[in-house]
Amino acid sequence: MGSLNDVIKKQQKMISEPEKNKTEDIEQLVGFVVGEEEFAVPILSIQEIIKPIEWTKVPFVPDYILGVFNLRGNVLPLIDLRIKFGASSADIDENTRFIVMKIKNEDVAFIIDRLTSALRIPKKNILPPPDTYSNEDEIIEGVGRLDDGRIITILKIDNIIKREDIVPERD
Amino acid sequence: MDELQELLEDFLIEAFEMIEEMDQDLVELENNPDDLELLNKIFRVAHTIKGSGSFLSFDKLTHLTHHMEAVLDKARKGELHITPDIMDIILESIDAMKAILEYIRDNGNDTAPEIDVEPIVQKLDALSKGETPSSVTPEKEEKIGDLNLDEITADNLDDIDLSELSSEELDKVLDQLVNDINTAPESEEEIEEVEEENVQNEEEKAPENTPVTSQNQSVVKKEKKELSKAEQKKALKKNIVSTKEQTIRVDVKRLDQLMNLIGELVLAKNRLIKIYNDVEERYEGEKFLEELNQVVSSISIVTTDLQIAVMKTRMLPIGKVFNKFPRIVRDLSRDLHKKIKLIISGEDTELDKSIIEEIGDPLVHMIRNAVDHGIETPQERIKAGKPEEGTVWLKAYNEGNMIVIEIKDDGHGMDAEKLKQKAIEKGIITPSEAENMGDKEAFMLIFKPGFSTAAKVTSVSGRGVGMDVVKTNIEKLNGIIEVDSVKGKGSTFKLKIPLTLAIIQALLVGSQEDLFAVPLSNVIETVRIVEEDIYTIEGKSVLKLRNEVLPLVNMADVFDVEKILEPEKYLYVVILGLGATKIGLIVDRFIGQEEIVIKSLGEFLKGLPGIAGATIRGDGRVTLIVDVGSLMKLAKETHNKKLATDSIKEAKKKKEKPSDYTVMIVDDSAMDRKIMHQALDELGVTVVEAKDGLEALNMLKQNDVDAMLVDIEMPRMDGYTLAQEIRKYNKYRKLPLIAVTSRATKSDRVRGVEVGMNEYITKPYTKEYLQNVIRRNLGI
Repeated sequence: MGSLNDVIKKQQKMISEPEKNKTEDIEQLVGFVVGEEEFAVPILSIQEIIKPIEWTKVPFVPDYILGVFNLRGNVLPLIDLRIKFGASSADIDENTRFIVMKIKNEDVAFIIDRLTSALRIPKKNILPPPDTYSNEDEIIEGVGRLDDGRIITILKIDNIIKREDIVPERD
Repeated sequence: MDELQELLEDFLIEAFEMIEEMDQDLVELENNPDDLELLNKIFRVAHTIKGSGSFLSFDKLTHLTHHMEAVLDKARKGELHITPDIMDIILESIDAMKAILEYIRDNGNDTAPEIDVEPIVQKLDALSKGETPSSVTPEKEEKIGDLNLDEITADNLDDIDLSELSSEELDKVLDQLVNDINTAPESEEEIEEVEEENVQNEEEKAPENTPVTSQNQSVVKKEKKELSKAEQKKALKKNIVSTKEQTIRVDVKRLDQLMNLIGELVLAKNRLIKIYNDVEERYEGEKFLEELNQVVSSISIVTTDLQIAVMKTRMLPIGKVFNKFPRIVRDLSRDLHKKIKLIISGEDTELDKSIIEEIGDPLVHMIRNAVDHGIETPQERIKAGKPEEGTVWLKAYNEGNMIVIEIKDDGHGMDAEKLKQKAIEKGIITPSEAENMGDKEAFMLIFKPGFSTAAKVTSVSGRGVGMDVVKTNIEKLNGIIEVDSVKGKGSTFKLKIPLTLAIIQALLVGSQEDLFAVPLSNVIETVRIVEEDIYTIEGKSVLKLRNEVLPLVNMADVFDVEKILEPEKYLYVVILGLGATKIGLIVDRFIGQEEIVIKSLGEFLKGLPGIAGATIRGDGRVTLIVDVGSLMKLAKETHNKKLATDSIKEAKKKKEKPSDYTVMIVDDSAMDRKIMHQALDELGVTVVEAKDGLEALNMLKQNDVDAMLVDIEMPRMDGYTLAQEIRKYNKYRKLPLIAVTSRATKSDRVRGVEVGMNEYITKPYTKEYLQNVIRRNLGI
């Protein structure tokens, strides 16, 4: 009996401890491409990823807000990250996706050019954004170095859009 | 245990409802002290609460209500004349009762250590004894006091004698009475009599000194215990009677859930109608259509009825909110030493529960404001030649899909100049802004945060928070505030609030490629005009409609929509009305009337100018809902900036020569393209060529094409598919598509019409024929 218990304990240790290490030290992200650059956001901030659907234009908003669309009965804003990041918008093709993320408890969708992969980056490989980055709005959380040497920009999704930039304050 | 809990809850709900009513009744009573029915009603409330309270063994509550009952009973028998001071005591006792009830609600018992009912009970006792309250000041009330005495003498000699008796004599009478009580009737049928005895007992007890009081109280208590059983039964009986009113209490959450579900149902219904319309086009004349039609219409009728029914379950009369105002006005006017009459009307007007809940606080502020700032002191009023007593009107009525709550006073009104001055002092506006400000705008300054006009800050108002909160709250309800004031005559505040927040009727209009939903409640009418109907007055476009001259703007200008559609012969105008303002809005298409479910645009986009929200249409697309109030503001700005006719001319590109027109030839055969090209060259029009449907579609986006000649058989994308694709775009809805083909069977032609071809030319054809067709389609 005793030996069986030992085996079980061992197994449990094996099951629980590596997990523990991972969750502590590894950031799980989803990578995607917008324009020329690869970005990533924490996997848990993503609600869902859908194929592009039709949207409705909305007046008086910055150009990076393309409009709103219907996601199963909810009206969500749609943001073109290309325009937001200063590039020109691209045509929608078969790789284009809408990433729906929760920002301050609100679902918001972003158009991205294509998804790359789910990433696991050890926290130690994530550095704060270098000073050379123009990070005025603090939309960059940090820069992650991948095992294959690629550099990926991790976005701070809470700061990607701000209400005060979108709707002018009412008098 | 549960049963008791349930009973307790029922008791509390009933008690609070009764108290709410009572408040209003009491104030009314003060004005009509002789209204027996009112008195009886109020008496019964105190009585019921006492009865149920003692049943649930709330001793403190029972003790208090018992004494209230005694006073009220006296009043109802005409032995006590209600004066404002007496009313103060009664109201105070009701407040204490409320506090105890609240304590019960929160704690489940009535120990309520911080509420001391004794002083109030003593005051009540003094009243039952016939003493006028100690705080009697003006002569008027003394007179009432005399009257009171007279009445008592007339009705009840014993009582009046009592107050004039010496202490020895009093003792005697008391002894006698205590004996009486000990032999008090015990049978149930005699409750009423016991009640009266009881009251008398109270009356007699009053003049005694404190030690005797407590002794006497124990007697009363004993008696009460005897009484309580009978009263319980009576109270229960009453409960049974009230439950016979066919009502049921439902958790609001359930109603909200129901409303959400119905919202979804409305969307599904809209979708069904859309599908039916599509199917109808395709299978015209088929038998099943009739059946489908019946199902669709019955579903749509039932949905609408269902929606109205649920909406109604959520509706409450605004009287629920209005009820508390007589009391507030009364208390305030006494505090401020003003004489104010509150006239309430339209309390039956119904509003959605959620709105009723939100509207209370703003209304309290507005009423306080009217009483405190609006109405002058009696002296000032007399000086101004007005009746001493000021009047505040509180009125509710329906106006279209809105409910209007009007707060009017006949006070000194507002001084626009003074308001501006104050606003400049407080740094809310600049002097130059003030200069350009109209009176109405100046009145709206009182809603700015940090603005307060009263020279003296009272406990009532004048801290400059209230009105700002009012505005925020009303805006939260999508409501509008209108202010009007005449100096020296008074002010009128109108709060306009939509009836419900969830589902509305809307007119769907198309402006260029975009669709908008306009709340039907603000659409006065729709008209079709021609460009010549638009006049320009002082550089602004106006529309003469019957005897009115309306400002006219193009919706596409207001929302800065990209103009791609060419204007047609007729222009469509929606006449929007809001309050007293009307405006004409040029749109490109009327889609129709539809029931829409309002959805928020979310935290990031809500509050966009001119947009109230969004709705999901039958086809699953999102359509924006216009916020008429804000749209009017935008439209006025646009109206000052841009002529409606300009944008029409702008969109109408000048096409004078044939070469201004472009015709596209789509054919996979180079030979055929050449033949057509030559024919078109003779007409002088500009020609572009495409080798197949796909290429044509891409070229169409880059060229401004006025007509297309389309072959049917083509690689990659054939003519039918091309036509179908083209017609998907609003922009090309009217683009002439001419099929040029050797396929000449009837079914080919039908197919051509189905996909949206305008004409069908069969190969071979003569050059002249082709030219004629092109000419006709281009209108040259």
